Amino acid sequence: MNESILIEQAQAGNKSAIEQLVKNYENTVYNFSFKICRDRHRAENTMQETFLSMLKNINQFKGDSKLSTWLYTVVSNHCLMLARSSSKHSNASLDDDDVYIDEKSFADWKVSPEKITENKELKDILDKAIAKLNPEYRIVFLLRDVEGLSTEETADITKLSIAATKSRLHRARAFLRNELNEKLKNETT
Amino acid sequence: MKQPEVVCKDVMEHICENLGEDLESPKCISIKTHLNGCSNCQHYFKSVNDTISFYKNYNVVLPEHSHSKLMSILGLDK
Repeated sequence: MNESILIEQAQAGNKSAIEQLVKNYENTVYNFSFKICRDRHRAENTMQETFLSMLKNINQFKGDSKLSTWLYTVVSNHCLMLARSSSKHSNASLDDDDVYIDEKSFADWKVSPEKITENKELKDILDKAIAKLNPEYRIVFLLRDVEGLSTEETADITKLSIAATKSRLHRARAFLRNELNEKLKNETT
Repeated sequence: MKQPEVVCKDVMEHICENLGEDLESPKCISIKTHLNGCSNCQHYFKSVNDTISFYKNYNVVLPEHSHSKLMSILGLDK
């Protein structure tokens, strides 16, 4: 069924429509939450908070943006709030361009991105690399590159200017590439 | 028209900035020309693309118990 009709029915209190909307987006919300939090428990908690917020505020949804964009915004805000309240993690500074542009290491990676589904060691490397990235940069990278949103949508969700969004994306990509390069440049399979 | 000379550092910065963006500007055309003849930059370009692909391919499946708990919390369980 068309999403705008489902939303109208959900706004009228139709439980089946609400259930269908939740089912349509629960995997996306859980995955995105996990990718930011890198923790299944926090991802589950964020997913629950996101859909509770959707139920509470569904009548305020005007349809001038996509429901998915609205859900990404709720997840992003919740994860940023969790990150800010957790002072035990310190993230790498991305202020100095020369720190993340490494001209000395141009190794040709031999590990294929398709191997990720079967390689726990590789997953650990990816988890550790992105955990070092400041959450405010992590969210931009995930929205734009991993979820495939446009620069404009990413800027709207993060309340950043287009220029700031591009700058954070540029720095996040380079930071992650350098972190992975340290581990993958000597891998042969 | 003479194209501006670019060095590897320029290429890397603009690859990162413009990956997935419009690459038809004069500077980007210069970058692509440089890229075609520079194996270092080709490796860098590939590694940035691979970085994105690694995180795109790394997905988790919503556990059944998490789905059930969500439906219960939302009052949608049957």
